[in-house]
Amino acid sequence: MKELPKRLLGIIIVMILVIALIFVMLRIIPGDPASVLLNEHVSQANIDRLTKSMGLDKSLPEQFFGYLGGVLRGDLGQSYYMQQPVSSLILQAFPYTIRLTLLSIVFAWTMGIVSGIFSAMYNDHFPDYLFRGTALLGISVPVFMVALFLQYLFYYRLSLLPLVYDGSIVSMILPAIALGWNSAGSVARLMRSSLMDELDANYMDTARAKGLIYKKAVIFHAFKNAILPVITMMALQLAEMLSGAVITESVFSIPGLGKLALTALQTRDMPLLQGTVLFTAFLIAVGGILADFINTLLNPRLRLG
Amino acid sequence: MIRKYMWMLILIAVLALSGCGKSGSKNDTVHLALSADIVTMDSHKTTNDYIVPMNVFDTLFSLKKNDDGSTRIDNSLVEKYELSDDALTYHFTLRDGVVFSDGTPLTAQDVKFTFERILKLPDSAQTDCVIIIDGAQDMLDGKADSLRGITVEDDKNFSITLTAPFSGFTSLLATPAMVIYSEKNVTEAGDDFGMVPGKTIGSGPYIIKEWTRGSGLVFEYNPRYWGPEPSVKKVDMKVMEPQAMDLAFQKGDLDILDCLFLDSAIVNSTYKTDTYKDRIVSVDRLGQNFILMNENIEPLGNVQVRKAIQQAINRESILNSIFAGDGKLEDGIFPTGCVGYSKNNQGWLKYDPDNAKKLLADAGYADGFDLEICLDSTANDSIKNAVQVISENLKAVGINASIRSIDHASYLDLRNSGEMPCFWAFWLLDYNDPDNIIYTFFGSKDNVKLRSLNYSDDSVIQRVAAAKTIGKEADRLAEYEALEKKILQDDAACVPMFSTKHLFVISDRVETFIPHWAGWSDIYFDQITLK
Repeated sequence: MKELPKRLLGIIIVMILVIALIFVMLRIIPGDPASVLLNEHVSQANIDRLTKSMGLDKSLPEQFFGYLGGVLRGDLGQSYYMQQPVSSLILQAFPYTIRLTLLSIVFAWTMGIVSGIFSAMYNDHFPDYLFRGTALLGISVPVFMVALFLQYLFYYRLSLLPLVYDGSIVSMILPAIALGWNSAGSVARLMRSSLMDELDANYMDTARAKGLIYKKAVIFHAFKNAILPVITMMALQLAEMLSGAVITESVFSIPGLGKLALTALQTRDMPLLQGTVLFTAFLIAVGGILADFINTLLNPRLRLG
Repeated sequence: MIRKYMWMLILIAVLALSGCGKSGSKNDTVHLALSADIVTMDSHKTTNDYIVPMNVFDTLFSLKKNDDGSTRIDNSLVEKYELSDDALTYHFTLRDGVVFSDGTPLTAQDVKFTFERILKLPDSAQTDCVIIIDGAQDMLDGKADSLRGITVEDDKNFSITLTAPFSGFTSLLATPAMVIYSEKNVTEAGDDFGMVPGKTIGSGPYIIKEWTRGSGLVFEYNPRYWGPEPSVKKVDMKVMEPQAMDLAFQKGDLDILDCLFLDSAIVNSTYKTDTYKDRIVSVDRLGQNFILMNENIEPLGNVQVRKAIQQAINRESILNSIFAGDGKLEDGIFPTGCVGYSKNNQGWLKYDPDNAKKLLADAGYADGFDLEICLDSTANDSIKNAVQVISENLKAVGINASIRSIDHASYLDLRNSGEMPCFWAFWLLDYNDPDNIIYTFFGSKDNVKLRSLNYSDDSVIQRVAAAKTIGKEADRLAEYEALEKKILQDDAACVPMFSTKHLFVISDRVETFIPHWAGWSDIYFDQITLK
C-alpha cells in the first residue's frame, strides 16, 4: 500500500471541496432556518432576533471561513434547530446507521452471492428463473415500496416482526431487508453473469478432466475468480446504502444519520446538514480505500501493477 | 444434521424474540403515535412541539370546552385572582402544595423567572406571548435585566401589570407556551433543560422518562402531581409515518389514531364503517381556512378581481367531497366557537360563477389572467386535493390558474418575503381570543407582508392592533365585527373557507377521550380514560 499517503491526501482535498460545495448549495436554495423554527408563529422582530442569534446576519465569506476554521479544529458547530453540538448529534445517530448498514450488507451479500451462484449453476432451469425474477424485482422496486410491503406482510399479516424500530435488534430486521433488497438484486445479477463467464473458461474443463466433482470445481476454482468484480461493486454499494438509509430510517423511525440529514435539510439546519454530509463523504472515501485494499489482497495481479 | 436444521432454529429464535416485545404489561399503558419527532421539550424554544409542555408542565390557567362548543377558563396553578379597576394589574394567588416532580415547591418567584427567561433567551420563540407585560420591551431591547411588570409579594402571591388592558390575558396564560418552570431546576439543568428527560422537570401529571431522537417518547405518571390521578399511568409514543399508524391501529398496537394524517378517502373507507364508527371521537377545530390573495401581484390588487375569486370558488362542494362534509362553511375571520364570532357576518358569501365572470369583465379581465397558486409540499392530501379543485373553479370563470408545489422551508421563505401570489392558509387558535387570529393576518405592516397579503388599508391595520386594548368587552367585540365585515366583505382581502372537524379513532381499550379544546393534534394524556 505505497499509495496510501496519496489516497489520504486525496481524501482531504475531497473533504474541502465537499464543504465548499455544500456550503454554496445550501445558500443558493431558498428557505431560512429562522422562519422554519418559528413556522406559523412568525413575527418580523422574532425572525430578526433568531437570524442574529444563529449568526446568519454575518457576511457569507465570514460564515464560510468561520465554519472551515471550526472544522479544522474539529468543531462542526451547533445545530440551529436541535440546539446541540453537531458532532454529538452525529455520534448519537451513527451507531444506529452502522448497525442498519451492516445488517443489510450481511443480508444483501449472502442473498446476492448465494442466489447468484445457484442461478449460474442451474442456468435456464427453475431455480435460475426464480432467482433472476426476484433479482429483477430487487433492482427495480424502490426502497420505500419494499419497506411498505415488508411492514404489511411481516407485521400486519404474519405478526412476526415489529412495525417500526423499538430499540431491539429484531426490529432492525425489516429495515435491513428493505435497505439490502436493492443491493442483493444487483449482487445476484453480477454474480450470476460473472460466474457463468468463468464456467465457460478452459480451466473449468481442465478441472473436470482432472476428475473434480462439478460442485467442487465451481466452488474452488470458478468462484474465486468470479467474485472479484462482485467485490468491487459491493464496495460501491456502501455509498448507495448510506443514501438509501435516508428513506429506510424514515419509514422505520430509526434515529440514524439518514433521518438526521433529512430533518436538517427540511429545516434548513445548515451546520447539521454540512456536518452529516461531510461525515458521510468521509465514510464513503474511507470505504473506497478499504475496498481497493481488499481487492489487492485477493487479487495479486493488482499488486504488481 | 444440526446444520441442516439450523435455519429452523434461527426462525424459532426470531419468532420467540418477536413475541417478547409484546408481552409487557399493557393494562394502564397507552400507545400513541407522532408523525414527526419533537425538536425540544422546552416550550420557550419552539412554537410547535407542545406534547411535553402540555403533559409534563402546568399553566396558571387551563382552557376547557363546554358542551355547547364555547370555552371556559379554569384555574390551574392559580388558586384565585383579581383584576384592578383600570384592567391593567392582575393579582394572583398560587395554589397550595404544588411541587415539581423532584419535590421542589412552586413559588411566585418561579413564575417571574419563567416569564423573564422567555425574554432573555437569545433564541426564544415565544417573546410575542409576554410582550404585553409592562417592561418586556425594555428587556428585549437589553435596557432592563428584570421584568418590572411582575411583582413577587411572597411565595404565594404576585401581580402582573400590562402595558394596556387585554381581556384575553388569562386565556393566553392557559397556552402551553406559558407553562411555569422551576427556577432551581432550570438553572441546575443549564443547557440540558428541554434536551435531557431527567433534567426537564415539571409539575404536571406526567414525567418524561425517555426521549430517543427520531424514534419516540415515554411518559410516566407523576406521583407528586397535585391534581386528580389520571387513568393512564404510562404513555408510549412512537414516531411513525402515517401509513404505519394506520397499520398499527388496525393491528391493535395503537390506542388513538389521528385521522388528520390520513387521506379522508381512507378514513371514509376504513374507519367510517360499522367496525369503527362508534369509536370515532370528533372535535371542531377552532380555526379557519382561507385562500389568501396578494394585493401586490397584479391583478389581485383590484378589489373586483378579488371579489370575483371569492364567488368563483365552490366551497360547499370542496367541503363535502374532499373533507367528507366534516366541517362547516365560515364566512368570517373568526370561526364558530371563537370569541368574536358574529352571526351578522355569516351567509353573505355565495358561490356564483356567473357573477364572478361579470365582475372580472367589469374589471377589464374578460379574457382572464394567469394566476399561480402556491402549495406547501408538506400539506396534507385533503388540502392538496382542495387546491386542485380551486384551480379548476378558477379556470371555469376564465382565470388561468396553475399550481406550484414548493418544499416547506422554501414555501415559508417565499411567503414571508411577501411575494407569494395566492395560497391556502390555515390558522388554529392558540388561545380563544379574536386577537390571536386577526392580528396574525392583519395586525401590522409586517404581518400583512409575512402572510403575503400586502393588505393596503393602513387605517384598518391600526384599528386591528388597537382593538386588543379596548377595555369594555362589548365595545371590543363590536369593533371586531366591524373589522371582519370591512376586511372580508368590502375589501375582499381573502376568501374565507370553512372550519373543519378533527377526527380521532380510539381503540376498544379506551373508555373516553377528550381532544384538545381547539382540536390540536397534541393531546392531554389525562383526558384519556381506560376501560
